Amino acid sequence: MSLIEIKNVFYQYNETKKAVNGVSFDVKQGDYVTIIGHNGSGKSTLAKLIAGLLPVKSGQILIDGKEVNEENIASIRTRLGIVFQNPDNQFIGSTVKDDIAFGLENKLVPSENMDAIINEFAKKVGLEAFLNYEPQNLSGGQKQRVAIAGILAMKPDIIIFDEATSMLDPKGKKEIKQLMYDLASGDDITIISITHDIEEVLQSDDCIVLNKGKLFMHDKPENIFMHAEKLREIDLDVPFIEKVRETFGKHKIKLKAQDLKGMVDELCRSSSKR
Amino acid sequence: MPIKFKALSYIYNKDMPYAHKALDHIDLNIRENVVTAVIGETGSGKSTLVEHLNALLLPSEGSLEILDYEIRANEKQRFLKPLRKDVGLVFQFSEYQLFEETVIKDVAFGPINFGFPPQEALKRAADALKLVGVDEDHFEVSPLELSGGQKRRVAIAGIIACDPKVIVLDEPTAGLDPQGAKEIIELFIDLNKKQGKTLIIVSHDNEMVYNYCDDTVVLSKGKLVYHGPTDELFADKEKLKEFNMLEPQIVSFRNELIDKGFRLSKEARTLDKIAEEIAKQVKR
Amino acid sequence: MNDLVFGKYIPIDSEMHKLDPRAKLIGLFLMIGAVFVPKSWWVFLAIALCLAVALLMAKIGIRMIVQSFKPMIMMMIFLLVINSLTIRTGDILFTIGSFAIYKDAIFNTLFVIVRLLLMISITTLLTATTNPLDLTLGIEWLLKPLEAIRFPAHEVAMMVSIALRFIPTIIEETMRIMNAQKSRGVDFENGRLSEKISAILSLIVPLFSVAFERAYELADAMEARGYVPGAKRTRYHVLKFRFKDYLFIFICVVILAGSIASRFYL
Repeated sequence: MSLIEIKNVFYQYNETKKAVNGVSFDVKQGDYVTIIGHNGSGKSTLAKLIAGLLPVKSGQILIDGKEVNEENIASIRTRLGIVFQNPDNQFIGSTVKDDIAFGLENKLVPSENMDAIINEFAKKVGLEAFLNYEPQNLSGGQKQRVAIAGILAMKPDIIIFDEATSMLDPKGKKEIKQLMYDLASGDDITIISITHDIEEVLQSDDCIVLNKGKLFMHDKPENIFMHAEKLREIDLDVPFIEKVRETFGKHKIKLKAQDLKGMVDELCRSSSKR
Repeated sequence: MPIKFKALSYIYNKDMPYAHKALDHIDLNIRENVVTAVIGETGSGKSTLVEHLNALLLPSEGSLEILDYEIRANEKQRFLKPLRKDVGLVFQFSEYQLFEETVIKDVAFGPINFGFPPQEALKRAADALKLVGVDEDHFEVSPLELSGGQKRRVAIAGIIACDPKVIVLDEPTAGLDPQGAKEIIELFIDLNKKQGKTLIIVSHDNEMVYNYCDDTVVLSKGKLVYHGPTDELFADKEKLKEFNMLEPQIVSFRNELIDKGFRLSKEARTLDKIAEEIAKQVKR
Repeated sequence: MNDLVFGKYIPIDSEMHKLDPRAKLIGLFLMIGAVFVPKSWWVFLAIALCLAVALLMAKIGIRMIVQSFKPMIMMMIFLLVINSLTIRTGDILFTIGSFAIYKDAIFNTLFVIVRLLLMISITTLLTATTNPLDLTLGIEWLLKPLEAIRFPAHEVAMMVSIALRFIPTIIEETMRIMNAQKSRGVDFENGRLSEKISAILSLIVPLFSVAFERAYELADAMEARGYVPGAKRTRYHVLKFRFKDYLFIFICVVILAGSIASRFYL
């Protein structure tokens, strides 16, 4: 059975525009799923719907067979965490350890047990030396790691990353992506990641493409990028190799290879035939 | 006349126990009418460097010559307004500077401050908005109602409308989707090619730097570690390693092609140009 | 910005820093009472001496205290002028032109000023030695009895601690927006009134719109991490009264009692 089932979900912020317009898909336990799409395609709205931060207008979202609604939300929150885009706006505590403690306090973890948990998860994200740091003395990447530690400390089995790396510098992006890959490598945590990062999509098990609130594609990443022209239709980025194929295509050179080296060899062969 | 940094240092919280030297003795001549990238890790002093260009920061030591202005340490500046008109600075996440009731008024805000008559300011605003691709039917709506990408375009139009001679861009495409990012960059490159505007771009995006920037400045911990032609920097594997930079895929691809005996000109730094030149060397 | 000393926390380690914030808050109220009651200069001197000892224990230099007086100077001068104009009793001290300055005017003013300065010093001592977060916890504890009349003590404390957490972020943001507007020709220092208004609007409007955005996102983040306003929570920081806290309060009570007694015996 699928862990997360999204069944014909609709959501709109106002009368005129449907942000999520009849989307259905399933996510299996332990999978690492990426969601891509243009700004305004409904990705972030969908993330908030799954996390129960917005109520669906119609349709259903089931987690482990339980519907995400007001009645079940408290129990769903204990197993689902979400990391947002802006590192500053999710840093609630005054220091790293206070921020990690925030979720534990809500979860009614006894005060005397907190230090051990905080240390464990600060260590997991490599911030054990920064426990007393205030947010203004941390880099964007470090703040995102604090957010992840705060969520891991609540022992979730589902984590949603809502463009968690998009505001970071290359170093921060790399750190956070590595952390995500590490989390995804096990079977116990299911990850849904909303992203613009093609490199990240290639690492995922499954990719969902949204366009104007609708499901545009849903497939393995390698299959999705086989249809680069379809992604281009909706102004989405494609891997570099597909860009090369596309650009040379414009100059009437058809390249078939699956990697750059192969493409260069292909070009060599056709030039030597001259 | 180039933009000259002369032994310029900048110290945050000078005379305080937690003083921090953000720029350390920078000697640098940035060429006019070309596109220069400023790169380096977070905290290397990139933003501090460019904030000197329109005197948002004044040097703690040394001096800066830009256009007809000279900015020296410990000297009150009297030509702030004309300097800021001539040197436009587009900030990171510039959409957060919008505040007027309508898009057109917001874009005209800068030109009016710099003394353009209201009619001309509005005309400049309208032209700038068209240039950045904002439709005329959006001119009278509140800028706060637009989408993130549209807001960014309006903010950028607000600088272009002031008709600066030098345009400084601090991470202009951060947070935009790839297509939007490409459009914005190409728009500025166009301003450089057609109107000769001097462009200085602070960026983390090495591929963009390689594609479009003539020169590159590399900063590390407040010190200047490289200034020269962009293609020479990216051709130098040792330097890339030294500066902790990844080789963009386009550079690897280009090198591979050259290794296999293809001829590529210095200008062929985008996929389009490379494909164009290769196409002439390949039998169809 | 850096000159603002009043209310600033100095993160060092001292005996005063280690006291329970609740003890320090109670002490603050007791001491303010002690400053308000007396009519004798000797008592002020005694309180000032106690304060000096406390400052020494807190490892806070006299410079910081003096600096915290700075914003009050204008007010003190104002007070002196008003009192000189209105209080016309006692001996004539001296005359400026044909205008007489009376002894009572000067002394009454000095009295008020000394009281004010002592109160500022006491408050500075509290804020300089108490981490804002601990202070909020202390305030929450003090407000707790009000929960009986449905006063949301916990929520208020949460709001205060979030406000404190975001002050540096908002200051940074203010700087950034100011720089962006300066680049568009805004002059925040000079200009006619209409230009000043437009300059301030160009700062305030974006600041508010960003603050709202932050607030919404923060609310989502808090909700997603299981925060329900009004629901029971455990606390990471648990305040604990120790012997020295009781001792501290006791000393403050003694000072207050002494100060009250002085009204009758001096």
